[in-house]
Amino acid sequence: MATMIEMMTEERARRRTDDGAALAVRIRELTKRFKDGTVANDRIRFDVRCGEILSILGPNGAGKTTLLRQLSTELRPTSGTIEVFGLDAISSPQAVKSLMGIVPQEAGLFDALRVAEHLTLFARLKGQGTGEAQRTALELARKLDLEREMTKRVGTLSGGQKRRLLIGLAFIGKPPLLLLDEPTTGLDPDSRRVVWRAIKEAQAEGATVILSTHYMEEAEHLSDRIAIICEGRLAAFGTLADLSERVTRSYRVSYRDPRDAQRSCIRHFATLSDAQAHVTRLRLNEYQIARASLEDIYFQITGKPFISADGESYVERR
Amino acid sequence: MGLRRRLNEVECVFRIHLARLRVEAGPFILAALIFPTAIYLFAQAIGNTTGQSEQQTRFLAGSITFSISLTSISWLGYLLLENRFTGRLKLFATSPLAPSSYLFGILTFALAQTALGTSALLIVARFFGIDLKLSPLPFIVAIGLGALCLCGLSVVVATRARSFSEGSLLTDALGAGLVFLAPVYYRAEVLPRLMRPIAEWLPTACVERAILCALRGDEAPMADFLALFAMTGIALALGVRSLRWTED
Repeated sequence: MATMIEMMTEERARRRTDDGAALAVRIRELTKRFKDGTVANDRIRFDVRCGEILSILGPNGAGKTTLLRQLSTELRPTSGTIEVFGLDAISSPQAVKSLMGIVPQEAGLFDALRVAEHLTLFARLKGQGTGEAQRTALELARKLDLEREMTKRVGTLSGGQKRRLLIGLAFIGKPPLLLLDEPTTGLDPDSRRVVWRAIKEAQAEGATVILSTHYMEEAEHLSDRIAIICEGRLAAFGTLADLSERVTRSYRVSYRDPRDAQRSCIRHFATLSDAQAHVTRLRLNEYQIARASLEDIYFQITGKPFISADGESYVERR
Repeated sequence: MGLRRRLNEVECVFRIHLARLRVEAGPFILAALIFPTAIYLFAQAIGNTTGQSEQQTRFLAGSITFSISLTSISWLGYLLLENRFTGRLKLFATSPLAPSSYLFGILTFALAQTALGTSALLIVARFFGIDLKLSPLPFIVAIGLGALCLCGLSVVVATRARSFSEGSLLTDALGAGLVFLAPVYYRAEVLPRLMRPIAEWLPTACVERAILCALRGDEAPMADFLALFAMTGIALALGVRSLRWTED
């Protein structure tokens, strides 16, 4: 393991992103075509800097999970390359996995194990000795608010607690790269905040984080940069400010349709005065004008409304 | 990778699965006893062999073989399918664990299950008053090889099945089918002539003959041991080959 980290440090020093930052992950022309002909990822290309949080944003079926499964070496790409800290993820999956903590989207836990056993045994699987594994288990339980559940069987935990335990398993050994596939899907707001805090702490300790999410709020709150994936393609990539600059209509007016009060409407305008002119033209009494949010940016970049995990459309197509 | 690291991985995989046995030990032992014991009594009743020591030992060897087949194919298969289709396998696949460590951990667990089931049947045999002159070493080797060979088949089925129900159906059919298609509870002569050479060299037939010799205290049947050894090697090689962490 030490050799791997030394190797990784050397690679870090050498490998740089196009803008000169230390490189954690480099993806080039990554394509995944399934046997039925579906192209889930189409020539995706981006770099991830060391120590940043990158959110991969897109609705169901956009290709986020396929991308993360290829990054985690679970799925072989049809073409393209993936480098993780300078290592080729396709030809050296075991070496690359030793640098990663992964939360797969549909992973299951072992219900018969107690929480402490689960964490300890998986810490040992990652090469920790018994004493160190026990310390890791305690530390992670504290971090993820699972201390009171340590002696409970996993099968008796709530859905949110199970999800937090899964995240804890990925955090074992403080891996330099965390791949989290929809880590907070289905979590209540409190649990979501616990997970967000843990992710931020991991970043503060030096980890690079790549996470996929359905939640705009999560992407806005956590990310240094955002990758928007739509129909398998990388539609946009950058900081929230970068993405805002890409959209021409950065003011949002939301209101009830004057002819049908049941219908809510959202319109985007280039300037505040255009937005105000629209309000005046329609003689609106109740309306809200705001700077475009991430969901507006998503809508304007992809031309499609963002459908959340709960099936809610954030921005209605007019 | 160091041997110590590999052994640690195997032990962890074994302990993760052992936790389940710990919770379900009662039902497991009951199930491992009920089926083979019922078949033993059924065979005795049909064969009208009550009190015939020779036949009793033969039926006991058949029942132990049945127990091995159940635990190694049907139940291990169920466990592997459950791991695969409920996402538990992802926890191993996404950790820096070699697929072979997972496989050997699972095999160790299957051997522990087999040992438990077989021991329970030997206790029942005493209860039925069956006269045994057990040779321990050939007995353990026969059980171990038989279990590993059938586990290999189970791994192949569980890793290739397209769905949980398909895999479950196949492992159940194999678990029982390999026992009843082989001359385990009956003589090979009753089978159609064309089936005999195949049936006589099914792994379950070899296991049953090896166990029978060990239960009688006879000399170990080398041909059966060699055949079992070869079949175990092939089944495990196929199992290792079919278990992959990276999908295409």
